[in-house]
Amino acid sequence: MYQYSEFDRHFVRARAAQFRDQLRRHLDGELPDDEFKALRLQNGWYVQRHAPMLRVAVPYGELSSRQLHQLARIARVFDRDYGHFTTRQNLQYNWIPLARAADVMDLLAEVDMHGIQTSGNCIRNITSDALAGIAPDEVVDPRPYCEILRQWSTLHPEFAFLPRKFKIAVTGAREDRAAIGWHDIGLQLLKNARGEVGFKVLVGGGMGRTPIIGSVIGSFVPWQQILVYIEAIVRVYNRLGRRDNLYKARIKILVKAEGQSFADAVNAEFRHILEHDRDAAAHLIPQSELDRVAAHFQLPAGLDARHAAAALRPPAEVPVAYTRWLQRNVHAHKLPAYRAVTLSLKRAGIPPGDASGDQMDRAAELATRFSHGELRVTHDQNLLLPWVHESELHALWLAAREAGFATPNIGLLTDMIACPGGDFCALANARSIPVAAAITERFEDLDRLYDIGDIDLHISGCINSCGHHHSGHIGILGVDKDGAEWYQITVAGSDGSTISGAARAGKVIGPSFAAEEVPDVIEALIETYRRERLPGELFVDTSRRLGTAAFRTAADAVRRATAGAAA
Amino acid sequence: MRFIDTRNDRWHRVEGEDGPLPHPDPQPDRLLTLEQWHAVREGWPRGLRTGVLLPNTLDVATLDDDLRGPNARLSLLALQFPKWTDGRAYSQARVARVRHGFVGELRAIGDVLVDMLPLLQRTGFDAVQLRRDQSVEAAVRALGFFPGHYQGDVQQPRPAFARDLAAEAAAQRHASELFAGQGI
Repeated sequence: MYQYSEFDRHFVRARAAQFRDQLRRHLDGELPDDEFKALRLQNGWYVQRHAPMLRVAVPYGELSSRQLHQLARIARVFDRDYGHFTTRQNLQYNWIPLARAADVMDLLAEVDMHGIQTSGNCIRNITSDALAGIAPDEVVDPRPYCEILRQWSTLHPEFAFLPRKFKIAVTGAREDRAAIGWHDIGLQLLKNARGEVGFKVLVGGGMGRTPIIGSVIGSFVPWQQILVYIEAIVRVYNRLGRRDNLYKARIKILVKAEGQSFADAVNAEFRHILEHDRDAAAHLIPQSELDRVAAHFQLPAGLDARHAAAALRPPAEVPVAYTRWLQRNVHAHKLPAYRAVTLSLKRAGIPPGDASGDQMDRAAELATRFSHGELRVTHDQNLLLPWVHESELHALWLAAREAGFATPNIGLLTDMIACPGGDFCALANARSIPVAAAITERFEDLDRLYDIGDIDLHISGCINSCGHHHSGHIGILGVDKDGAEWYQITVAGSDGSTISGAARAGKVIGPSFAAEEVPDVIEALIETYRRERLPGELFVDTSRRLGTAAFRTAADAVRRATAGAAA
Repeated sequence: MRFIDTRNDRWHRVEGEDGPLPHPDPQPDRLLTLEQWHAVREGWPRGLRTGVLLPNTLDVATLDDDLRGPNARLSLLALQFPKWTDGRAYSQARVARVRHGFVGELRAIGDVLVDMLPLLQRTGFDAVQLRRDQSVEAAVRALGFFPGHYQGDVQQPRPAFARDLAAEAAAQRHASELFAGQGI
């Protein structure tokens, strides 16, 4: 993991002090609400339905035990004893009074954390593959590049007030587990025929009202030039992005409207910087800097590369639950004797992605005991232990089960993505959590879940798409009609992972449904799949082969409150 | 950073009752709109201290020949913040400095708030006309929080990775010890 230098620590403390000054001026009446808003947002503070929400950055998803213990402490002391892990690998608190905000920033700074640029119209936290640095299919470890990008984007003076938020995701593997096609900039690390490292650069992806998949603007940008290339993209966007309409301000709209001329403008700007700017050379990444940062991402000390004889001979009587856990929650590792293990945050009775202070402490303890003190926050709102030796899997399973993290459902229907929705979020049109709970309850039976197999169910409480409904094999979107909550349902979306196929937005299967109809609709879609599937077909495959009509018919058949509307 | 007090400002716009006069006379210390500048530029005497106000929708390259180097025809470039959250002028400022080699005064005008100061300074502004209700004291304080930044900027072209951060930290400790007890 990256270890903060004295400079990094000083920097985060300076940011906390700056925020304390702004907060004081606000509370003293010197800084009005609407002006303080843009400042607090860039430190992660939203104003929500009940209290401010704080979004804490977890850069590219890497978290230490020590940090997670501190997050648990903040949850316990300042919040109502829980936090919510998000699809962009961050952590959100919901109940911290604004007057105590500066104290929380100080506590975060103690463990090298902050909320810098987790909101606002600026470059947000860089996200990456939860299996970065450990995936068997990895071509280049993205973490050193993510860290360099984190540093470059942090308080960049030119790009703090862009037309709209700006999200970057990076992957270094063959499979896209970071949904890069859905980001403002998606970066895929590659090696060319000569073995040199560079980036495929996608631009203009995004969800929201107008879901668009990013297009390739650079097929191989040498790694040394990546900061300059991104600077060119963001500068063109800062200059030309629309500021007259909030809904048309994302870079995807500019890219779509301008097409090739956007790419030409970026490439011209890139050449201008390299050929004419006084300080261009300073922004090329030197080998020495890559080496310095990469040194933080070496294998943890004390790894044991030997296979454990005992692990290869399973005990005579293995509980089914353990086998299932091995099958769903344990993932291959680039080191043959190691595994990555997901701690499921998807269990009945608890909103997807939520963890109590106690659970955070337990997860941190598991990381200390089994994973060299390191965890990852995954894109689908779970925690992952990246360095588990195969000989410890059984002991980990026992401990994870006791802590409530061993639900063997990773990748299955109940491992759903959901935003906090209308229960918390001031933007939401509808609640997400009760819908997620009702579906989880409906699909409690593990045999049935396993029979359904891999499926991405994504729920967003509004069109801002924090729950990534567009990319779900089944997507559920909360909409507001006449003050009531309704849900629009899509099928066949993809985040870009191998089983899902190329990134694409799902297709709507008809008018919205009432909240109480949603579990029946999901069940009807699933039963349609089970009836129609060919051998080996996943839900997403069947939904593409059949098209929406069959699913629409099945869903319409279970309408009650909305039966008239659909007729 | 210079804080402009409009009562003592040497620069004057050339406006009539119906807005900017289309063809201003050549006088020193005139702050012209881009349209005015384009209208008079050809016959305008060289060496006359002149400023131009550039809307944030335009590319700085429009003025390239007039900005470059110590003999540039313009000695003031005023960039606008119609709303303080509209960040286009930061890009204009940086490009004016690092690409077009502008060494004259770069002034921020419009909805300029104290919390913008660090960004303004780092993108090359050296003068600001704060919005009327803003406090110069808070603006000066806003410039003092960060000892250094990660990425290079106009003020400090070298990114953190190209600097000797340990030496910078030592120099800061030294400076703070030097001033300790002096009532500063």
